[in-house]
Amino acid sequence: MNDPEVDDGLDLEMDQRLATFARNSREPALPDAVAQLPWAVQLDRARSNPGRFRATMGGFGGFGRALFAFARLGVTLAVAGSFLLLVGQARTSGSGTDIVQPASSSRPSSGATSSIGPEVVLVPTSGVVDDVMADFVTGAIRQAESDGAAAVIIQLDTLGGSEDAMLRIDAALHSKTPTIVWVGPSGAKAASAGTFITLSANLAYMAPSTNIGAASPVAAGGGDIAATYGQTEADKIMNDAIATMRSIAQERHPDAVAWAVSTVQSAQSYTAQEALSAKAINGVATSIDDVLAQADGQTVTTTAGPVVVHTRGATIVTINEGLIQSLLHTLDDPNIAFILLVFGVLFVAVELFHPTLLMGLIGALCLALSFYGSGSLPLNVLGVILVVMGIGMLVLEPNIPSHGLLAVAGVGSFVVGAVAFYGSPGPYLPSVAVAWPIIGVMTAAAAAYGLLLVRTLMQMRRQPVPVGAGLVGIDKVAGLVGEVRADLAPVGTVYVGREEWSARTRDRSPLGRDTKVRVVGQEGLILIVERVD
Amino acid sequence: MFAKEAYLGTDPVRAPGWPTLARDRAFDTAFVAALEAELAIAYRLAGYLLADSAEAQDAVQEASVRAWRGWANLRDRDRFHAWFSQILVNVCRTRLRQRSKRRTLDVDDIDLETGDPFRAALARDAIGRALSALSLELRMVVVLRYWGELSLAEIADRLRIPIGTVKSRHFAALRVLRRRIESVEGSSR
Repeated sequence: MNDPEVDDGLDLEMDQRLATFARNSREPALPDAVAQLPWAVQLDRARSNPGRFRATMGGFGGFGRALFAFARLGVTLAVAGSFLLLVGQARTSGSGTDIVQPASSSRPSSGATSSIGPEVVLVPTSGVVDDVMADFVTGAIRQAESDGAAAVIIQLDTLGGSEDAMLRIDAALHSKTPTIVWVGPSGAKAASAGTFITLSANLAYMAPSTNIGAASPVAAGGGDIAATYGQTEADKIMNDAIATMRSIAQERHPDAVAWAVSTVQSAQSYTAQEALSAKAINGVATSIDDVLAQADGQTVTTTAGPVVVHTRGATIVTINEGLIQSLLHTLDDPNIAFILLVFGVLFVAVELFHPTLLMGLIGALCLALSFYGSGSLPLNVLGVILVVMGIGMLVLEPNIPSHGLLAVAGVGSFVVGAVAFYGSPGPYLPSVAVAWPIIGVMTAAAAAYGLLLVRTLMQMRRQPVPVGAGLVGIDKVAGLVGEVRADLAPVGTVYVGREEWSARTRDRSPLGRDTKVRVVGQEGLILIVERVD
Repeated sequence: MFAKEAYLGTDPVRAPGWPTLARDRAFDTAFVAALEAELAIAYRLAGYLLADSAEAQDAVQEASVRAWRGWANLRDRDRFHAWFSQILVNVCRTRLRQRSKRRTLDVDDIDLETGDPFRAALARDAIGRALSALSLELRMVVVLRYWGELSLAEIADRLRIPIGTVKSRHFAALRVLRRRIESVEGSSR
């Protein structure tokens, strides 16, 4: 090529060699499919133009897809949300008298009850003070009232819970039937909100080796709450709690007020014996029978006026939580709320990378249940953010080359977030933390998920695509052996390379069905085959 | 290939299996004439750029579809040749980039016996085999220059880059090719 514009110093030998080689390149015949393009593309618009959709999506890159995924996630969350509303509805409607109908009560044969002696309703509770517990206790007390029970005993073992639920139980404890709270068995706690509940009852007893008072020592003036809500708000919450406690304690015994306030104000915790000497409780009772014996003959002030309690030799009717109630009550276990959150985030992440409606639905459900459960827990927003960020980093690690740094940071963020998942207990909330074994297992699960599952999915996506595969199949079938499906007379079909092709023999000689043939060439979309013996 | 009168008539599409509605359609014969004149060189260029006949067919098809969509808005139809080659070059460049992103098998890795006419043609000579050593941008210049037989100014127009860049890429490409060939010939001796 003797171009005047060619620079001096250009490798003229290579230039010549390339020009000659290119000029002598054997010209491949123009395929029919290409030759037909001038007409074919004009038909394109008459058809619904499927190419345009692909072009648009391609033009936006992953954006269109991401938008689609998010829209889908939105729908999923909406579905999960309405499910949750339904569950909430079930809880409320189930909290009437019928759910308290002792599903598994040890009620002796009816009729005999009144003749044997007085009846005492026992309501065993445990776990976080939440709406479920409030529903349960309120319903049980109402039931005892209508049954004309001699007394209601709430067996309590709690680290605390939400203020709303505590206030509801507090209100229910003021009933026509004498109410008794027994903190037991040994080892049980009536911490935070539990303290308020214990002192609200007409009679309060504690088993030996039980505690009452603050969940954990917090700085005077509520340093932890101050960190969360700000000093003014913290003071307000604190003063509010002190006022509530003062009025509750005043009803019990004027001497107990200072002691009761100290459980809130300086976050003090006391043993059963200390509580007894402060006149905050009526006695130390080792068992329910002991409670019945000690309570007998006491005069208490119910809403119906002063009543003498007759509990000696009473029949105990135990009321247990219904199935849905105990399931919902399980949700605010600090560990379960944490596990649900982690699984929720993981499943939602799967949904983003590998859209199947199911995963997103499960994930959204887990998240919704987790948020429901953590409503009565002192959730630390920073901890939650760290956990979610940690999972995010683990999920992104296989997609962003970081030489493992992102994975290390992800695990670190996850663990720190898990440790700090709960914090800042106020006067009512329980002081809880995620158990270490749970943190270990969930860290391993999140890391395994991020590093293995997402990596596998990405590898599947990036698998090398052989050039020309699935485009125009001749590259794939040339030389392959197949068999005749419809007689070649002279044109028929052959099955080769897992596809049916139109085919004929080179000399247009006929071939019968099931004859083995080899592909030796192509003419348009018709394969040229020869017989294989 | 179709005779001239074939597309001037009412039944231009004679290939078996075409939908009947194709026969009843009025075709834009000016577009057919313009595009038909480009197909041979377009297929050849795409074939040597992509080193794959199937992909070349796809590329020409994609370029043709885009040309048809833009046809109504093309003011100067005498420029069709330059315009269409620009589209084709863009399509091929996008495909080559996607191919490297998608981690497709490298041209070198492909068995040259698969019967692809373009790969076979390139494999005939050391200089053709050396083409795979070129980067995408250098390869485009070389193919347009020698297989497309374009002047450096025309290449600059098709690739929409300054002519100085074309010159330096051309220069660099030949140097890379020489080194590659010498190293291959040196090692085989």
